[in-house]
Amino acid sequence: MASSDVRDVLNLPDGAAGGPRPSKKQKISAPRPNLKGLAREVHNLGGDNPIAIVPEVTQFKKRRFASRKPAARWELRPFQNSGREDASLILRHWRRAEEGKQPSSTAGGGEGQAGENDVSGSKGEEEIEDSSYAKYNVQVSVPQYNDDQYRQVLENPDWTKEETDYLMELVRDFDIRWPLIWDRYEWSPPATNGEADADGDESKAIVPATRTRSMEDLKARYYEVASRMMAVQKPVQYMTQPEFALHELMAHFNPQQEKLRKDFALNSFGRSREEAREEESLLLEIKRILARSDKFNEERRELYNRLDYPHAEQDINTFKSSTGLQTLLQNLMTADKSKKRKSIMGGEAPTPTGQPTPQQAAPESARRDSAAASTGPRDSAPAAAPAPGNKKAQQQQQQAQQQQQAQQAQQQQSQPQERKKLTEQEEIIYGVTHHERLGSGPTFRTEKINKLFSHKSNQQQLRITNTLNELDVPAKLAMPTAATTHAFEQLLASVNSLLDARKVTDKIDAEIKLELAKKAEREKAAGIHEETEKVEDAGGNAKDDAAAADEPSKEEDNKGATEGADPADEEKEEDDGEDATPSDEAAAQPSVEQDDDDNDDAADKGTDDQLESAAPKRSASVLSDKSDKAAKRQKK
Amino acid sequence: MAQQPLPTSAQPTDIYGGDEVSALVLDPGYCNTRAGFAGEDVPKSILPSFYGHVTSDPPRDLFGDECIIPRSDFEVRNYMNKDSVVEDWDVAAKMWEFMLVKRLQPERQTPPSKNKLNDDVKEQDGEGDVAMEEVETMEKALEEFPLLMTEAPWNSPKAREKAIELSMESWGTPAFWLSRTPVLSSFAAGKATALVIDVGGANTSVTAIHDGMVLKRSIQRSPAGGLWLSSQIRNMWETSEPKVDLVPTFMVENKSPVDALSPAQARLREFPYKIHDSFRTFEEERLLTEFKESVVEVWRGPGRYGAAGNEEYIKSQPGRVFEMPDGYNQMWREQRFKVAEGMWDENAGYPVPESERLTKAQTIPELIRSALNAIDVDLRGNLLANVVVTGSTSLINGFNDRLNNELTAMYPGLKIKIHAAGLSSERRFGAWIGGSILASLGTFHQMWISKKEYEENGVGIVEKRCK
Repeated sequence: MASSDVRDVLNLPDGAAGGPRPSKKQKISAPRPNLKGLAREVHNLGGDNPIAIVPEVTQFKKRRFASRKPAARWELRPFQNSGREDASLILRHWRRAEEGKQPSSTAGGGEGQAGENDVSGSKGEEEIEDSSYAKYNVQVSVPQYNDDQYRQVLENPDWTKEETDYLMELVRDFDIRWPLIWDRYEWSPPATNGEADADGDESKAIVPATRTRSMEDLKARYYEVASRMMAVQKPVQYMTQPEFALHELMAHFNPQQEKLRKDFALNSFGRSREEAREEESLLLEIKRILARSDKFNEERRELYNRLDYPHAEQDINTFKSSTGLQTLLQNLMTADKSKKRKSIMGGEAPTPTGQPTPQQAAPESARRDSAAASTGPRDSAPAAAPAPGNKKAQQQQQQAQQQQQAQQAQQQQSQPQERKKLTEQEEIIYGVTHHERLGSGPTFRTEKINKLFSHKSNQQQLRITNTLNELDVPAKLAMPTAATTHAFEQLLASVNSLLDARKVTDKIDAEIKLELAKKAEREKAAGIHEETEKVEDAGGNAKDDAAAADEPSKEEDNKGATEGADPADEEKEEDDGEDATPSDEAAAQPSVEQDDDDNDDAADKGTDDQLESAAPKRSASVLSDKSDKAAKRQKK
Repeated sequence: MAQQPLPTSAQPTDIYGGDEVSALVLDPGYCNTRAGFAGEDVPKSILPSFYGHVTSDPPRDLFGDECIIPRSDFEVRNYMNKDSVVEDWDVAAKMWEFMLVKRLQPERQTPPSKNKLNDDVKEQDGEGDVAMEEVETMEKALEEFPLLMTEAPWNSPKAREKAIELSMESWGTPAFWLSRTPVLSSFAAGKATALVIDVGGANTSVTAIHDGMVLKRSIQRSPAGGLWLSSQIRNMWETSEPKVDLVPTFMVENKSPVDALSPAQARLREFPYKIHDSFRTFEEERLLTEFKESVVEVWRGPGRYGAAGNEEYIKSQPGRVFEMPDGYNQMWREQRFKVAEGMWDENAGYPVPESERLTKAQTIPELIRSALNAIDVDLRGNLLANVVVTGSTSLINGFNDRLNNELTAMYPGLKIKIHAAGLSSERRFGAWIGGSILASLGTFHQMWISKKEYEENGVGIVEKRCK
């Protein structure tokens, strides 16, 4: 009943709110809260503004124990502990009563009295639980021996059987805690009380002087007994690994060393603050020195590694082609990776099309930098060389190769690194050798030798065989074992170097002759009294020399191709050359250039120049030059 | 809103390996005897080991603090000697029974057969037997309670045997154990291996504990404890200018405030009977204890008190005023340090009769040194890293700082860690608390000497088991 209804009843005018009455009503009715427990009429009395009713909270505080379950029942329950020596002791503790079980009579009951265990046995026996702590009572096992065994294995002039027994008892009592055993060790030998000894000597009531035993003595005796008894029970050869280790440990107990250690500990125990500080600083110093030398060694090793080059004991023929070179690069990089965890291959693998550009490799290290710089352009060289039409096919081929290599690299990366490494001696014993690359299928070792020959020009082959004949070495190995083959290869290599040296000397001789001839000519031109026939002679000589000089350079070309990418040989060769002729570089280099001019086109020449400028090593220029040419030849 | 405690039904019962078997723990000492239930953190009943003895006919013994009041024909005695070893076993038995039964257990209801309520004239003849039975069972006061007792580490085998005999025969305990106080103190500190320095009332002892066992060779003790300190204070009062009269509280009837150092104005109480000296000494000791608690301090270092400049420095610091019961008061400055210095430095302190004089070996640093020297060198470092300080005299201000200073000076290269409970009750009742912990452990059940074992082996079993 709203106020408007009252007005209606009393026939009062609606006042100002006449017009909007129905709409107002609607408005009011909508948001009215629906209070429970109040008649609608009472509610309406409030009119527009609802009656202010604060709902009463009857509960002041939440009941603490909401659950009306009965209180938990606890009972004083007897239990025993089977870990005890006297397991019949019955103690009582409070435990929750189990549901459904009738709680035993409580409070002051004489029924479960702790003391009278044997009396209340019949009733309590099956109910009595075992303590959950019984399992913690563990005993140590101490070696057991009988008299016979003692006589056989345990005799010791320093120990009587009684004292040994006493020691063993103490060890058992104190669970092999040596400080305690030593602390409580009070062995007083029984007095020989008037009894005749074995030799009839009646020493009356002699109390042997008690001797103080150090902890090491006790330990030594115990370990002696323990290890011997162990061996008696189970011969050493049948022992399991841990048993044997234990036996060894006990059998080799060294009391002297232990004593020394303790003396040392005692010494360090009594040092003063200054000494302690000094020692500490010394230790720090040592640590620093060690760290520094470690670092130094590391650096030196790295330096050596950088100077080092991969050894190639195997056939170098495979590297003669451009694909071979690719493989070589691959090998170099895998070798690099095995030395250092991170590798440039890691950077290359995600972008198989990309060359190992110097930019990629540069941050790795200077070593890699140089490797990349020397190899990178070399890779690109074949691509640049052929005609433009051919270029695309070349690139595709290269891409295919590189993808393949990347896969290989990934395979290698994924290979587990933790395999056990053999030492060098073991490798020799088992005949394990490492190869950068293995040809597919089995090959004969002799073939390897034959290859060395077959790749030489006929003339060179002839020379080599001549030299071998001189040395009384057959050109074919009768028994090509790995060692002999290796030796033969080395021999051939040195023969090669020898021949090269000879070639170079020939060339130098020729040049000297030429220069002499020139000089003579000049003199003749300058001199007034020179005879004409002499001039003619010198000119003839010079011509001959020129022809001779052309020959060796060709040979060198062949030889270089044969040796290909073998830097070791290259280096050696150069060393030899240096030994032979002091002005080797000056002499050899022009000849190569000349050779190029003779045989190759201008483009190739450009590449060569570039190569030479990029190559850091002197030998690399020769190497790259040759390999480049070899690649070209293959293409042709 | 505070977190509600777990309802009892949800509480874990086997927490920390505890499994309580309602054992009792009794820790007798020269000054106090403490008894309580295992598993609690303080002893329920702490009584002075001094008891009253009425000499008049019939002579009787009165136990408890409240009985020690001035009265005629009254002596104060102690059942222990100053080594903390029981001397008077008859009184000890009575005293302990008083504490364990009267103080710890509820008043027993008179059995129905005897409380006269059920008296029926007709059943008169059958009653005799029943009464006899009841008497049998009632005689054994502690039949339900295993008992763990403590002892000084130098306790004699005889005394140990006596203890188990008393416990088993006269109280009928189902199980018994005897443990040495330093072991328990180290348990209370939560350590199984420790160097325990116990500065108690009558004794100061230093003991090395290895794996929960006393290393016997390391046991060192000296009288440099609370009583020795009291004698120093007495000496100081006698020699100070003006001389300080030691008037215990019970003697003073009323007093009026006086200025510092001026003679006291107090009326002393007159007793119609003679006050026995022992009673007066006991009361004086209370006063001295108060003085120790509020005034005495240990010079913390660096260096000893006697080192140059230290005394001048202390004189520049504010002192402490102490008012005697008779109103005399005085400011104590350097003296309060000097009193305690004798514990550390045999040459310092106040002159005392030659018999009470501490030798060098009896000072605390020397005790520690010789204790450590008597054990294996491998253990020493570990022990110094686990030094446990206990005993109520160690509560004197600055004690731990000084100890730490002395130890670092003695063993400069080693790590030294002192564990001293912060709560004074833990320091006072260290051994009792350790016993309370030990006796409430589940794994300790296998250790108890049961009544059956006692009956089979006799009293000798205590030597064999409680090593």
